[in-house]
Amino acid sequence: MSELIKLKINDKEIAVEKGTLLIEAAKLAGAEIPHFCYHPRLKPDANCRMCLVEIEKVPKLQTSCSTPATEGMVVRTDSKTVEEAQHGVMEFLLGNHPLDCPECDQGGECQLQDFGHQYSPQVGTFEETKRVFPKEYFGPLIEKEMNRCVSCLRCVRYCDEVIGAYALGSMNRGSHHEIGAFARQELECEYCGGCIQICPVGALTSRLSMYENRTWQLKKTETVCNYCGDGCSQTLEAVKDDLTRASSEMGTGRNGGDLCAKGFFGYGAVNHKARLSRPLIRTNEKELEVTWEWAFNKAVDGLESIKEKYGPQAIAGMISAHCTNEEIYLFQKLMREQIGTPHVDSSARYGYINAVAALNSVFGTARLVKYEDVVAADVLLVIGAALTESNPITGLKVKQALSKKGTQLITLDTASRQRETYISHLPNLATQHLQVRPESEGAAICGLMKAVIEAGASDTAPPALVDKVKKALTAISFQEVEAATGLSEADYRKAAKAYAGAKRGVMIVGRGVLRNKDGYQNMLRLAELALLSGQVGEEGAGILAMAMENNAFGAVEMGGVPEFSPGFQLNEGDKKGHTFPEMLEAAARGEIKALYLVGEDPFRSLPQKKVAEALQKVELLICQDLFPSQATAMAHIILPAASYAEKSGRFTNHEGEIQKVRMAIEPVGNAKPDWQIFSIITNKMKQKSDQPYSRLIGYDSPDAVWKEIVMSMPSTWSQGAGGDLSSATAAYADRAEISLSIKKPLDANGHFYLHVGQHLFHAGKLSTYSEGLLKLLDQEMVLIHPEDAETLGIEEGEVVSLSNGEGAAALELPVKLSKKLGRGTLFVPEHFGTAAKALLPLTIDATTQVPYGERGVVKLSKRSAG
Amino acid sequence: MAKYEPILLKNMLQPGYRGLLEEYRAVGGYTAFEKVLKEISPAEVIEIVKKSGLRGRGGAGFPTGLKWSFIPKDYPGPRYLCCNADESEPGTFKDRQLIERDPHQMLEGIGIACHAIGSHQAYIYIRGEFDLGAEIIQRALNEAYAAKYFGKNIFGTGFDLEVVLHRGAGAYICGEETALLESIEGKRGKPRTKPPFPAIHGLYQEPTVVNNVETLANLPYIINRGADWYAAIGTPKSTGTRVFCVGGHVKRPGNYEVPMGISLREMIYDIAGGIRGDKQLKAVIPGGASAPFLKPEHLDTPMDFEAIKEVGSMLGSGGVTVMDESVCIVWAATNLMEFFHHESCGKCTPCREGSAWILQILRRIEGGLGRPEDIDQLIMLCGRIEGKTVCAFGEAEVGPILSTIKHFREEYEQHIREKHCPFRPNAKLVMAH
Repeated sequence: MSELIKLKINDKEIAVEKGTLLIEAAKLAGAEIPHFCYHPRLKPDANCRMCLVEIEKVPKLQTSCSTPATEGMVVRTDSKTVEEAQHGVMEFLLGNHPLDCPECDQGGECQLQDFGHQYSPQVGTFEETKRVFPKEYFGPLIEKEMNRCVSCLRCVRYCDEVIGAYALGSMNRGSHHEIGAFARQELECEYCGGCIQICPVGALTSRLSMYENRTWQLKKTETVCNYCGDGCSQTLEAVKDDLTRASSEMGTGRNGGDLCAKGFFGYGAVNHKARLSRPLIRTNEKELEVTWEWAFNKAVDGLESIKEKYGPQAIAGMISAHCTNEEIYLFQKLMREQIGTPHVDSSARYGYINAVAALNSVFGTARLVKYEDVVAADVLLVIGAALTESNPITGLKVKQALSKKGTQLITLDTASRQRETYISHLPNLATQHLQVRPESEGAAICGLMKAVIEAGASDTAPPALVDKVKKALTAISFQEVEAATGLSEADYRKAAKAYAGAKRGVMIVGRGVLRNKDGYQNMLRLAELALLSGQVGEEGAGILAMAMENNAFGAVEMGGVPEFSPGFQLNEGDKKGHTFPEMLEAAARGEIKALYLVGEDPFRSLPQKKVAEALQKVELLICQDLFPSQATAMAHIILPAASYAEKSGRFTNHEGEIQKVRMAIEPVGNAKPDWQIFSIITNKMKQKSDQPYSRLIGYDSPDAVWKEIVMSMPSTWSQGAGGDLSSATAAYADRAEISLSIKKPLDANGHFYLHVGQHLFHAGKLSTYSEGLLKLLDQEMVLIHPEDAETLGIEEGEVVSLSNGEGAAALELPVKLSKKLGRGTLFVPEHFGTAAKALLPLTIDATTQVPYGERGVVKLSKRSAG
Repeated sequence: MAKYEPILLKNMLQPGYRGLLEEYRAVGGYTAFEKVLKEISPAEVIEIVKKSGLRGRGGAGFPTGLKWSFIPKDYPGPRYLCCNADESEPGTFKDRQLIERDPHQMLEGIGIACHAIGSHQAYIYIRGEFDLGAEIIQRALNEAYAAKYFGKNIFGTGFDLEVVLHRGAGAYICGEETALLESIEGKRGKPRTKPPFPAIHGLYQEPTVVNNVETLANLPYIINRGADWYAAIGTPKSTGTRVFCVGGHVKRPGNYEVPMGISLREMIYDIAGGIRGDKQLKAVIPGGASAPFLKPEHLDTPMDFEAIKEVGSMLGSGGVTVMDESVCIVWAATNLMEFFHHESCGKCTPCREGSAWILQILRRIEGGLGRPEDIDQLIMLCGRIEGKTVCAFGEAEVGPILSTIKHFREEYEQHIREKHCPFRPNAKLVMAH
């Protein structure tokens, strides 16, 4: 608690913390000070001059947004002089402002309207003509109307200070001043929508909802975004059942009001016309619309008869980690308790399970650090995480940490450091970037461990662990590590010294580790590295693993994986069912007869042939989803599910924060929230009742389900972070078997190393249903380093052919040049087709069965003439 | 010309003097720098400069020694000196000559100032249009570096100093000290909100002193000849000489270095030779375009900071613009407003918006479309700018308007009454924002 000082504002004495700005102090004193350029998220700029106040003994009026309160200050915000100054500024701002409030999208939530109402002079004095700027757009999504601009520069400052994209700037001078795309004709930015959100007037608005509604007609619902694991608070705004805007109120939620392109512009998927809206039954290869009553009966009968005929173990279920905690809990309960099968899995299987399982194994919890710790960290070690693309808000927290003097960022990735634009790319911001060769992350981690151990492990590390690691490391030399990764011993020593020497070191682990070969083992090694470095268990130090899906953490915690029942209770022996890849194998072998897929299209993640083989073989395939897919095309029963905007519940983000999801609109058509569907099926099976399904929902809301979850959790379950980890880590150290070896460096044989992954403007398949995001990127392409392209004589936009020489269909894609890639590597975004993935080999993790199939060697050739 | 002994212009007035290092050294150049490094502690240098009474020559006239003393004494990080060579004030051309004709005295001044404030990094921010000046400074810097006056271990004292020449890109506002700092940092030149002042958070947020060319050029002489000698020149509160740039309707326009405190009359009629064509004097701007107009009745005012302020103007940058009876005052005010409108950086509302409205009204009056209420509206608009802007530009732009209305209101009224400019009857109305 810092020092309190006393001051007087409009004769009212108040006490505030030292350093409080007058504009904030005035709020406490109950005095409103009109302002435009001031925003709590930004550094004061004092340019609008609207917040001038009178301070005793100071000759001129002062801007309250930039003046800190001091002891004994006597301030007036309501004097005649202040009023005159406010009138002056207000008339200057309104003098050139157009009279287009009736059609302006900001109308009703405009600071110029609000403050103009109270602080304008009664009569205007200007008779000259107004200045007029031509209408322009910032790209496909942002409307720029400079006639409405008050030049407060909030947009520019937000872009510079918060996002760091430096996309906007001041253009021209004096009364011709306007906001422009800095030094470029076209806006080149991350499309986070922050400039629109922070604009106090209608100068920057979204083109997605341009001229559609009046703001006061919109129904606002605060919920949580469903794209990635960051867990951002999001306000959805709707007219009837049509979503028209998404935003996030400044200062709220884990994100503090910041959003990314997906969070701000990606809401359109919900109202996409392709949404499934009626239950369907497949008869004679035709899809038939049916009532829910019929669909439920059919599903329950189908499941019952398979259970009777083949036993409960012949039924398996897979649920998307986009679903809520309540839904995943009910799904696993339906599977495990009602049907009696252990075979239940979720899309956390595609990588995040590696993190949760490894962290739980080593520390007894996966809740180690929060965003606040990331921001407060003095050393950040970011491994295999392209945060701007995969988890933009976590990326912002890293940038926020870097704004503290002396903060070090170490990045370890295959990406190259070279800067081509200001669009955030963490290696560019890093104090040390460890660019490793493809597939050598494991070797690099060994290098870091070796450097830490040789410099002396932390006193807090369990001695048994230190011994075991030391022993295992004797088999490894730096020469080997260097040969595999391309980095020198000195690089590792430098990074290890910085990380182990940190006061508060936070490690962030991303997809590059979790979704790639040896993901589980590498995650264990990283957990050990943190222990050896003393960077876990201490205040503010720890590991944060990036989730690609909004509820991947919750999916594991709610028991949506075979290895854990709710509350991370380990399932062993018969209780541990099949993982999803195992389910498909079992289905292909004829052991699994019924498959219940919720929000999951395995064709997108696993080899087409294998999936088709498995799905053809099952006698009952139930697909419950938002959109038709390759899987629904084979399903016997298709159940239309509600999207995140159409239901309530809870998501758990990758910090382990459990947050409420609230229903913004009614489900489209006849779609139903997943939790209701599970509950009805369970009750129908349990009661063998012919009652109408509406009497069988059981729970009156997701809150009732949550109550049951909380009550049924084991006593060891904790929603909070940290706690004393020493007994868990000591136990881990005792049982751990650590053997280290360096895999041979990958030889691409002169071909390219292809990496399929996430693009800045998309997340999974879902985002490709969003009109807004499609305007930013609507097709697949292959990224290549410009120097590689030059060697091959390939130009930007040229169509090239990718093949793997193993018979998979060659893929033709246009080329885009990017210096962010390492030499010899290619990148294809994963969101559109599956053909790129089909070129890549699939390996399955020996422990967690996570399927790895995002990287591999391919042949790139110019398209033959003609 | 022998009436007053020049200090800063002395060398360049010698026939054949080109401002080369060897010439400057021959007249005692860099001995003051050597002396301070070897014999005088930074604190003592600051005391000497305080005692000399030297005040900033850029416009505001802030005491130089006092400014230096604001730099935190035991600050562990770097600190900077910036030489403001962004001379852009209309009617002012003294720094240009000091730079082009005798660059080393400014460079030596930089060395002395850096020693005083403990800076090891100095920047010279030169106006973008000064191509020749930039070339000359760079040449002088090269000479000084070669002679080891800059760089590492200067005069064997262990003192290091790097001096970098930074060229502006043509914005008037970059002469404002905080805009200058932004510009050096590579950002758009826009003034910062003060406080904090540059002495605490300046260049790259480190303690920084910004001094004008002429201010710095005085330092070697103050060190070599003593504070008392300097303080004896001029008036007690405005010490030393001042290089005035006399321009406009005088017979001998040019830069004249005189002790502060001589009268405007002596400056115009004696030194600059009187009004061209022996016409009547109508108005004079005593300190650059930002300074309010004065009238013939002010001719006996001493040209020092206090006296000029007392009669409602300011000594500013030393640019004395003389206007004879043929000048239309409304036109002159409009002309100046064209400049200020063009150069307003656009950061803060009153200056950005106000300059455009004022200019439109002035153009209308000059073009014969004025309305009786326009004059009061101009005064009101000026009041809405003055004291409410981020930087001093606001005061600067309203000065000419308010002073011309104060001293020549009748002429404004005549324009409005007669619906045309009495001096330029064919003046066309120029509209446009």
